[in-house]
Amino acid sequence: MPDTAISTRALVKRYRGITAVDALDFDVRRGEIYGFLGRNGAGKTTTIRMLLGLIRPSGGEITVLGRRIRSGEATVFSRIGFLVETATSYPNLTVRENLDIQRRLTGSAPRSVADSIGLLRLGPYANRRAGQLSLGNKQRLALARALLHSPELLLLDEPANGLDPAGIVEIRELLRSLADERGVTVFMSSHILAEVAHLADRIGIVHDGRLIEESSRDELAAKARAFAAGAYTPEERELALLTLDLERYFLARTGEGPKSGDA
Amino acid sequence: MFGQVLATEFMKLHRSKAPWATLAVLAMMPLGIALFMWIVREPGRAAQLGLLGTKANLAGLEAAWPEYFYMLTLIFGIGGMLLLAFIVAYLFGREYSDATAKNMLALPVGRHWFAVAKLLVAAAWWMTLVVIVIVEAMAIGLAMELPGFSMGLAATGIVHVLLAAGISFLLAPVVAWIAVWSRGEVAPIAFSLVMLALGNLFGKTGWAEWFPYSIVPLLVGMVADPVDTLPAGSYAVLAGTFAVGVAATILQLRFADNAQ
Repeated sequence: MPDTAISTRALVKRYRGITAVDALDFDVRRGEIYGFLGRNGAGKTTTIRMLLGLIRPSGGEITVLGRRIRSGEATVFSRIGFLVETATSYPNLTVRENLDIQRRLTGSAPRSVADSIGLLRLGPYANRRAGQLSLGNKQRLALARALLHSPELLLLDEPANGLDPAGIVEIRELLRSLADERGVTVFMSSHILAEVAHLADRIGIVHDGRLIEESSRDELAAKARAFAAGAYTPEERELALLTLDLERYFLARTGEGPKSGDA
Repeated sequence: MFGQVLATEFMKLHRSKAPWATLAVLAMMPLGIALFMWIVREPGRAAQLGLLGTKANLAGLEAAWPEYFYMLTLIFGIGGMLLLAFIVAYLFGREYSDATAKNMLALPVGRHWFAVAKLLVAAAWWMTLVVIVIVEAMAIGLAMELPGFSMGLAATGIVHVLLAAGISFLLAPVVAWIAVWSRGEVAPIAFSLVMLALGNLFGKTGWAEWFPYSIVPLLVGMVADPVDTLPAGSYAVLAGTFAVGVAATILQLRFADNAQ
């Protein structure tokens, strides 16, 4: 079994003269969490869409789980779970019915619906129509659908969208445990630095469709610290600490995080 | 796997109001014809109804079973083209308007199966409507005690209605392709309206037998006296339109960019 879960070579996507992804080369190793960091419009979603065969590259090659991705590719998707940009479901169907559709189309066991509902804590909403869910619960439903068939690879585009701080921590822990305990490879895009910094083993920074940097989390953190030492004012550093403290305080007050002094 | 795809396509209609809305629209049609028939049969009361009575008389209708079946065929042919466009636009287009197409297209299922399953759901939906409304229309006609009924006439009338409804379906896959190409529901419905107008226009020319959207109006008597049989060339054109529509929809799903 190859050690690489995702590999792109000279990947290009052009839309009517605009280059959204430009000669992108990267590899994601099996079992790692790879953070794909970039600003809005950097090419993150376009890349994920190409990895899923939803849009055709203008050039280059994509290999996912050892299989070349071409338009209409279907076989490999039994091993991939994904969430692309907005979390969408059939609004007239309940959470359970939406997941049952996924179960049938991925050939999963009937038990998998209840399992994914439990995993994402969607039990109280199982019989609620997807169109009536909050943004955060829609996101949970999309993640439940992505995880339902126990995929080897998760492609997640902005997985924390719409989640409250407690939800973000919960999903972070879930993804970490999937990677550590089940060896699931996670490729997640985000424009939120903290989200990627907390979770990713390696981080690729994409800008204007190009991969401008790729490092392990620790290497990138060291570079960021060195940069911050010279670039930030004491007030900015104070603000960053305040933000962190506020997040911890909020989680503690809402019963999800460490109590005072634990951290 | 195709069985599961088909089952899920039916599941997606669960709690949807669209099937009920299409049933309500089509079920109104025999009632409308019956109203015309009643006005024609009761000229005194028709006069009291003003413009509606005048129009009914101008139409030269007789309140009898042959005319009743003629009107039903017209409705299932022309109304069918529009209502089927709505059904197919809804089934294909809402995957884009609800942004669920991306979930559907990256599954371990060949994309062509979704196109085939959706067209089968559209066919089942349409035929269910047709059967229900034929039963309704027969019940209304019998309740009105229209003259000229015979089993032979009823059988011929129903066959004509089913033929018009069936031929309308042959035009549906092109609508599906427009829905997938435009990623929504508006363009396919607009396309169908334009084609209906063009079909009427071409129907008055010598090309009526060859233009797919004139063939149904020609069959049901919208542009001239209704014809009993279509030329073989018209069936070939309709079969070709169906095949091109199915192939274009599958190729669009398989090879075109499916961004939302």
